[in-house]
Amino acid sequence: MSWLRRLVNVVRSDRLARDAEREMSFHVAERVDELVAGGLSEPEARREARRRFGRHADLRDRVHQVEVLVWLESLVADVRYALRALRANPGFTAVAVLSLALGIGANTAIFSLINAVMLRSLPVSHPEELVQFVMGSGEEDFTNPLWESIRDRQKALEGTLAFAERDFNLSSGGLVRRAPGAWVSGAYFGVLGVPASRGRVLEPRDDVRGCPAVAVLGHRFWQLEYGGADDAIGRSIALGGHPFEIIGVAAPGFSGIHVGRLANIFVPLCSADVLRPGSGLLDARSTWYLSVFGRLGPGVGLEDARSGLARTSRDVFTAAVPTHWTADRQREFIESTLDVLPAGNGLSSVRGEYRSALFTLLVVVGVVLLIACANVAQLLMARATARQHEVAVRLALGSGRLRLVRQLLTESVLLALLGASLGALFARWSSRLVVGFLSDAGDTVSLDLSLDLRVLGFTMAIAATTGILFGLAPAWRSARVDPQSAIRGAGRGLVGESRHTLGKGLVIGQVALSLVLVVAAGLLVGSFRRLATVDPGFRSEGVLVVSTNWSETGLSEDRQRGLPREMLERLRMIPAVRGAAASLVTPISGSAWNDYIIVDGFAPQNANDALAWFNAVTDGFLETLDTRLLAGRGLTPQDKEGAARVILVNETLARRFFGDGSPLGRHIRTNVHDSVGPPMEVVGVVADGKYRRVDEETLPTAYVPLEQTALWFPGIELSLRLDAAAAAVMPVVTQALAELHPDISLEYTTLSEQVASSLARPRLLAALSGFFGFLALLLAVIGLYGTMSYAVARRRNEMGIRIALGSARSGILGLVAREAGKVVTVGVVLGIVLAPAGTRLIAAFLFGVTAWDPVTLAVSALVLTAVAMAAAMVPAWRAATVDPMVALREE
Amino acid sequence: MPKLRSDTLHGTLALLVLQTLEARGPLHGYGITAAIQSSSAELLRVEEGSLYPALRRMEQQGWLRARWGMTEKNREARFYEITRVGQAQLARERATWDRVTEGVGRVLAYA
Repeated sequence: MSWLRRLVNVVRSDRLARDAEREMSFHVAERVDELVAGGLSEPEARREARRRFGRHADLRDRVHQVEVLVWLESLVADVRYALRALRANPGFTAVAVLSLALGIGANTAIFSLINAVMLRSLPVSHPEELVQFVMGSGEEDFTNPLWESIRDRQKALEGTLAFAERDFNLSSGGLVRRAPGAWVSGAYFGVLGVPASRGRVLEPRDDVRGCPAVAVLGHRFWQLEYGGADDAIGRSIALGGHPFEIIGVAAPGFSGIHVGRLANIFVPLCSADVLRPGSGLLDARSTWYLSVFGRLGPGVGLEDARSGLARTSRDVFTAAVPTHWTADRQREFIESTLDVLPAGNGLSSVRGEYRSALFTLLVVVGVVLLIACANVAQLLMARATARQHEVAVRLALGSGRLRLVRQLLTESVLLALLGASLGALFARWSSRLVVGFLSDAGDTVSLDLSLDLRVLGFTMAIAATTGILFGLAPAWRSARVDPQSAIRGAGRGLVGESRHTLGKGLVIGQVALSLVLVVAAGLLVGSFRRLATVDPGFRSEGVLVVSTNWSETGLSEDRQRGLPREMLERLRMIPAVRGAAASLVTPISGSAWNDYIIVDGFAPQNANDALAWFNAVTDGFLETLDTRLLAGRGLTPQDKEGAARVILVNETLARRFFGDGSPLGRHIRTNVHDSVGPPMEVVGVVADGKYRRVDEETLPTAYVPLEQTALWFPGIELSLRLDAAAAAVMPVVTQALAELHPDISLEYTTLSEQVASSLARPRLLAALSGFFGFLALLLAVIGLYGTMSYAVARRRNEMGIRIALGSARSGILGLVAREAGKVVTVGVVLGIVLAPAGTRLIAAFLFGVTAWDPVTLAVSALVLTAVAMAAAMVPAWRAATVDPMVALREE
Repeated sequence: MPKLRSDTLHGTLALLVLQTLEARGPLHGYGITAAIQSSSAELLRVEEGSLYPALRRMEQQGWLRARWGMTEKNREARFYEITRVGQAQLARERATWDRVTEGVGRVLAYA
């Protein structure tokens, strides 16, 4: 209790001092009276009373010490003093705080991203107990029979759950209105420990064969779509055109366990029969689509779980083995193992893709912060010289050196805290910007960027560390001043030759670090440019891609197979459509189809040697995409069902499988799960083109006629080459297809958008590294300017004398230029030496250029040198134009 | 809570102050020194340097209450008064003191 009062008294100390003073005076007065009454004279009595009372000041001190928390009081005094000092130098304070704000803010932004993507635990109960199942081979996807087998047979874990992420179409036919969601097992909510906030969540009894169609809504979705109305429970929601009954709303804050993707609607796994009727997904033993997670029981470790699973794995796999596989493959399957990995922070594709990029960015912003700190350190040291006089006086008056250092450090830490507060604001804004980069047209990334304790703690720690880092050296040097010589020197600043070396060292460091960052930025920006201009083997401008899906139409299979041709007929009649074609996949879409092929005379060295990539297309596809035909012919409407089976190959496939000879007239057969397809005659060779990614080595690709493939597909991609703007044509296309059948669902994108979104990560890296490289350059230049100004200012007397004695102004210029040149050169050389080590970090992100590309290095070095010298010459110019009389007069 | 130093005189001072205030009612600092001096027949004299810090401490711990008031000579002074908590503390201190003195006495007699 009294501790608290002592704390409070810190702010009442003035009042308390007055009270104590009054009390002492009274006591002394009484004592004097007593002594006078005993016979002493007034002055003697007073002297005696004083003596007995002891040293007034001492007593007051002791009382004071009882009354307040002394350390807190001196801290408060330090802070007040520091604030006054900062206010007195607004220019200095502004530059320092701004530099720190940018440095600390950048670090906080990147860290909060890392936190959101990688470190943050899921908002479920005891996330540290969650594990993800993977097959021994590393496969993360399971079939439904296998999942059910695991669920029913395993005994090692407390609970298991499975889910598949799916987007639901909220509209029936026409333009798709997407809501991301998931198919989940009955125990999903139970195992995760996520309660309902309205109604109820799914239970195991909801997830049995032939179940009624029910759905649980995510909390935010319920707020947005239904206004948070209680009567949403029991209403029906149409998913993919099928009605589902809403039975509950999940607790707020829960949106699935895939980080970066909000799941809004949860339906039981068994509703696959409703959403994909006839697909037999629930019993398909070789369709891999489920993610399986589990919860370790209390006190159960990973190893226990693994050994427990190993005991039951044989039974588990035997019950779900695909019976149509060969005996060998079946045996392999039964011998598979199950592994569990910690999954407390959920699944994330964003994490996998961006993990190394984010850590690299963290290093980059760390370097920027170092440069900013060096700047502030220089500023502080320059100011320290100006305050030498004051410091000397304080030392002479008895202040302890340590106390002085502490007070100066308080200033630094205060600067850092101010910078951190401003930086935190900057961080909030910029991290949202970065997430915007990560999302693109098709795939919104949603991350929970709210400030949590971890990010706050990180920011504070960084602020404190940087404050001490850049404050310690100047503070220590200040306190080491010899009071006598400093006062005698009267602020002329004679002390400090050594300080100048530290300043030079800092600038050299800054220049070197900025060079490394500029080189890195140059490499990343160059890579992105190269990626963006790589020839993908097709012309993406002006191509509209329509993703169609007819699974809701309820048409017969025959009718369905005829739909692509009907759609193309209608679309080709639209005037603005120059060319139209249908295909199973479009390039750079994220979808792919591959199979092993058998070619006479080709012996694969290993399994993957015989892998080829496929696309099923109609005639006109290659023309629409502007992929050149090199030999033979393209596809025609005659290549339809029942006609001779044909196939087109690209150059890479031709070279790999047929060597130098012409592949025309030769045959290819597919090998799917050990069943060999009919031979297809190669009738044409097309130019190479990118399939999955812009930066890949060209894959061996083959094109089969859409109508000759046995694959079943619920929809097709239509590619339309337009003569007008896409926005103008879209409504016409929608209309045309709606006339064909109103329940066909459509989604639009352009091929250019599709390609651009695949470059999201390189774009992010290029933009950010460019920004930070520029920032580092700016900070280093400011630092250089500051140091040179200060050095020149210190030597104004000397310059004035030189000029007065007849030295030419150009001589002065040369003097300063030489000094600056030395520093910059050393810095640049150091930077060139450090650069390869630094760029090795980003080697994985580079395309078309090596990490030690000499051209980038040379250009960066030249730019940096030029800019740095320019910055240094401004104060030099001012020095050379100084009026010698003015300089000399200023003592 | 600031731990009182294990200084016998220090603890004794608190005892003396509390007893004085209990017996004589509210007094100011000077009055307390005078009272202790007179009731101990000049055997004990309190140093002002120890008294005032001790008074502050006791005030903080809630054993005393302090008010500004006027003396007969019309001077402004700070008067201290014992509180209920202070009375309890006084009882405790007396018990401790009795124990200590008895113990010391025995050692001196029989050691």
